[in-house]
Amino acid sequence: MLIYSQPLELTKLLAAINNFLQGNLSPGWANLVKGILVGILILAAYALIALALIYIERKVAAFFQARLGPNRLGKYGVIQSLADMIKILIKEVIHINKADKLLFYAAPFFVIVASVLAFGALPFGMNLHALDFNIGVFYLLAVSSLGIIGILLAGWSSNNKYSMIGAMRSGAQFISYELSAGFSLMTIVVLSGSMQFSEIIEGQRYCWNLFNGHLPAMIAFVIYLISGHAETNRGPFDLPEAESELTAGYHTEYSGLQFGFFYLSEYLNMFIVAAVATTVFLGGWMPIQIKGWETFNQAMWYIPSWAWFFGKAGLLMFFSLWVRWSFPRLRIDLLLNLEWKYLLPINLVNLLVMVVIVLSEFTLTDLFPALFGK
Amino acid sequence: MNNRDAYDTAMNEITQVIQQIAPDAQIETKQRLTVTVRPDQLHPVIEALYRNETLRFDYLISLTGMDWGDRLGAIYQLSSSVDLTQEVIVITAMADRDNPLLYSVTDLYGTAHLNEREIYALFGIRFINNPDMRRFLLNDHWRGFPFRKDYIHDPKLNPETVVSSEIIDMAPRIMEREDGALVEETVAVFGEEDYIVNIGPQHPSTHGVMHFRTSLDGEIVKKIDVHSGYIHRGIEKLCESMTYPQMLHLTDRLDYLSANINRHALCMCIEKAAEIEVPERAQYIRTIMDELQRISSHLLAWATHCNDLGATTAFIYGMREREHILDIFDKTCGGRLIVNQNVVGGVMFDIYPDFQKDVKAFIPYMRGRLKEYDDFFSHNAIALGRMVHIGLLSREDAISYGVTGPAGRASGWSCDVRRYKPYALYDRVEFKEIVRTEGDSYARYLNRLDEIEESLHIIEQLIDNIPSGEVCAKVKPIIRIPAGQFFQSVETGKGEFGVFIESSGDKNPTRVKFRSPSLSAVSVIPLISKGAFLSDLIGITGSMDFVIPDIDR
Amino acid sequence: MKFTKYIGGIFTALRSLAGGMIVTWKELFTPKVTMEYPENRKTLVISDRWRSELIMPHDENNEHACTACGICMINCPNGTIQVTSSSIDTEDGKKKKILDKHLWDYGSCTFCNLCVITCPSDAIIFNNDFEGAVFDRSKLLHRLNHEGSKLREKKKESPAPATEAPAKKENREA
Repeated sequence: MLIYSQPLELTKLLAAINNFLQGNLSPGWANLVKGILVGILILAAYALIALALIYIERKVAAFFQARLGPNRLGKYGVIQSLADMIKILIKEVIHINKADKLLFYAAPFFVIVASVLAFGALPFGMNLHALDFNIGVFYLLAVSSLGIIGILLAGWSSNNKYSMIGAMRSGAQFISYELSAGFSLMTIVVLSGSMQFSEIIEGQRYCWNLFNGHLPAMIAFVIYLISGHAETNRGPFDLPEAESELTAGYHTEYSGLQFGFFYLSEYLNMFIVAAVATTVFLGGWMPIQIKGWETFNQAMWYIPSWAWFFGKAGLLMFFSLWVRWSFPRLRIDLLLNLEWKYLLPINLVNLLVMVVIVLSEFTLTDLFPALFGK
Repeated sequence: MNNRDAYDTAMNEITQVIQQIAPDAQIETKQRLTVTVRPDQLHPVIEALYRNETLRFDYLISLTGMDWGDRLGAIYQLSSSVDLTQEVIVITAMADRDNPLLYSVTDLYGTAHLNEREIYALFGIRFINNPDMRRFLLNDHWRGFPFRKDYIHDPKLNPETVVSSEIIDMAPRIMEREDGALVEETVAVFGEEDYIVNIGPQHPSTHGVMHFRTSLDGEIVKKIDVHSGYIHRGIEKLCESMTYPQMLHLTDRLDYLSANINRHALCMCIEKAAEIEVPERAQYIRTIMDELQRISSHLLAWATHCNDLGATTAFIYGMREREHILDIFDKTCGGRLIVNQNVVGGVMFDIYPDFQKDVKAFIPYMRGRLKEYDDFFSHNAIALGRMVHIGLLSREDAISYGVTGPAGRASGWSCDVRRYKPYALYDRVEFKEIVRTEGDSYARYLNRLDEIEESLHIIEQLIDNIPSGEVCAKVKPIIRIPAGQFFQSVETGKGEFGVFIESSGDKNPTRVKFRSPSLSAVSVIPLISKGAFLSDLIGITGSMDFVIPDIDR
Repeated sequence: MKFTKYIGGIFTALRSLAGGMIVTWKELFTPKVTMEYPENRKTLVISDRWRSELIMPHDENNEHACTACGICMINCPNGTIQVTSSSIDTEDGKKKKILDKHLWDYGSCTFCNLCVITCPSDAIIFNNDFEGAVFDRSKLLHRLNHEGSKLREKKKESPAPATEAPAKKENREA
């Protein structure tokens, strides 16, 4: 395999930092400092991506609605969400009488910790990967389902009937759609034969899983997008918040920074879903490569891998916004119908079909090894 | 509809029916059949009219509490659901001011329930056999009955308070036992263990300060208790101290989405009473403006209904199209929401030079948008799931609760005032009355969109033919209308809006009552939302399309 | 049969949802309707008939047309207008009413236009200057006649007062 020139990759920078630390510190201390650095970077990226997403969402929503959206702060309102963040930080935290204090204050942390844990495990680019478990997909599913505990606690401890109803809706919704999300990822695990993100990405060098597994993979992709959307409680699945029904659902009573946590995690969860879909179905950070077209491949590599990753995830997020601002909200029974009567049965059949296709070597890589083979 | 003879025979028959039950009833047949009966004959007479075989008077248009100074009473305006041109007025009065009692007609007309509670709050008349005799519009501890002529308007009597008081869910009532004895009792509105959620008064989907106390079983609505009156301004009482031209500006503030049509009704009522001829040009302008207003009202109803179902984008689209109409209003009469266009005798402002051009440009634009709404929302699988077979309102219930307008017509009740009692130019234009029989939220939704198309059609027929001439008849500076009772109803965006004026021949009326279509819509919500999901309750309120200031007059 | 219905249902639903998404996609590129006030102050068109603020037009000699008859005050449905006047003796020995203050409360006006249409001498009109927000409620009380202004002398017999006089009297009695 040829080695392409990758001028904008961060690999060299990372290696330089690594060498510097290894050279000046004992191995234990070096690892500690590296851990802290990675932690700070992840938190910073978390906050920045969320702020950017909030701005983008407001702008895109406005354009879908024939409005201009935020346009007061900075050119085109670009620092609007920064100003909002400052406002949220200095806002008073309102204490609720008769609320369960401990659970009430703990709830936002559950939500945000779960989403940071999932965020940290994402492969952002070539070698831009904090953790590369051999059970990456499994880990991601596990930690991202922790967030529901925070939402349930928030609804329960607020001592508010709207919050309570919102939280219960959220519980039912999350547990149902977790199944579908899990099964659709399993379909791809069957296809690529690994749970490790780096291997999944490497396996998609010449052919994305979406095309490699053709029909079942595409069905799995659609189902994953739907259920991922539902898990993040965003429209048309925003029943737990349901502004026009429950005012703000489970976070009705929250204010200031605690509300900010819910708000940030909502946007970040959207990003996580898009990122996982990108990694698993669309080749992750891997640039578009065509076997044999070396110049083309080299050209593609001039665009750094992290740009590929954010570009693909951005497209999926735009799609998510598009859906959100096009549809009305489902009702709880319609929502559960969709999951238990449609998505889950289709998913189970789909998984079986995928197994058959992989075993009978009907994937694109098997059928056309000259074009797509590894 | 009916020719004169058929009308007379029908009325003769009704007269006979009434005379059988109440031989001493005073019956007048000047304009409409007006029957004055003793309080104890009231219920039998109305029941006989309700059960009359040939023409059932099953639609209670309006129930008006009255205080004639020496006597308290009520006026029942009855009509028939099959032929809205037929009207009977039943009047009753009593001298007892300390404990006035009347028999309730809630067993016959669903709409009577809230109306009787309103009369109790404002006039102090209690109704026997009404299952829940709390005050409506006023709170439980209000002192005095504000609409009585001898009410002492003293702020000390009912001081403003900033302390919230608990809502007591205990309803007093007077029931008649089998042996005829009256029992005063209180009943609990909700059970001990009910999980009660307050939808409103501050809630994004009640479209104003409406308060539904909702008892839930999980997400299923078990019972709804309607509270209203948070913005009750006593407009009817205010009107009693104003001259007729002054009164006009208050009607714009009832159902503000049909401001122009409301004002049209009041103007017509005064014109009819004072026998003022309205110039042809003014009639054209009034009709076109009414139809534009109806489109804007339906657009907002569509927009908020979609918003209630969670489609925020649709809300913005509806508002955007409505803006075009408001611009036309703005240029015509200098107001957008509160248009102040109609005056007694015609209209205040003539149309501006580009009016026809603007309206003609709007019509194809709106048609295109209707197509877009259709693609965007009307067939959306999620939207269908949220509307089809939801909030089923049967024809009988629609009539009983007096639900008119697009909502009533969605239940298969043809009740368009423009068709049955044409006013302005509606007898000269051609339009379809949109009637659907499904009775669900979706039928109400589609009815509004179809009515927009019909309104465009009406405007198209008129816009090129506006005759030249005066826009306002010569009217004396002080308008006096002869002594008597006058009623005029119109079709607003929400349904049948009526103005009732009782005059003693002075320059102020002695009683004004507005028949509110929104009140009927709200009164039926507990019935049609029972057993629905909480989310559907929101969807149903959106599909009924009510405006709170119209209820809290 | 049931199975085909099941599958058919999925496709109908997907098609309807796609229809909705196509509409929003098209709207993404339509002109935006947001008005950027106050940046667009210069291009903002307020219709001529727009009723914002009641004014009493004065000519270059600081003269107005108000005869202090008070009809506007009587006709106002909610007591927004207060007209105070005083009597002076004119040269030919007659008593004449002149306007002291014409006060109009921006805060309680409902813009019903009754004062303007009933004014016998067309002394007051609504203009379309809509930026009337102030920080202090007392500033909403506008005095419409300028300092030192006086009634415009009529060159010819004006027909208006003759017809309006009885009406005014009637109003007063009530």
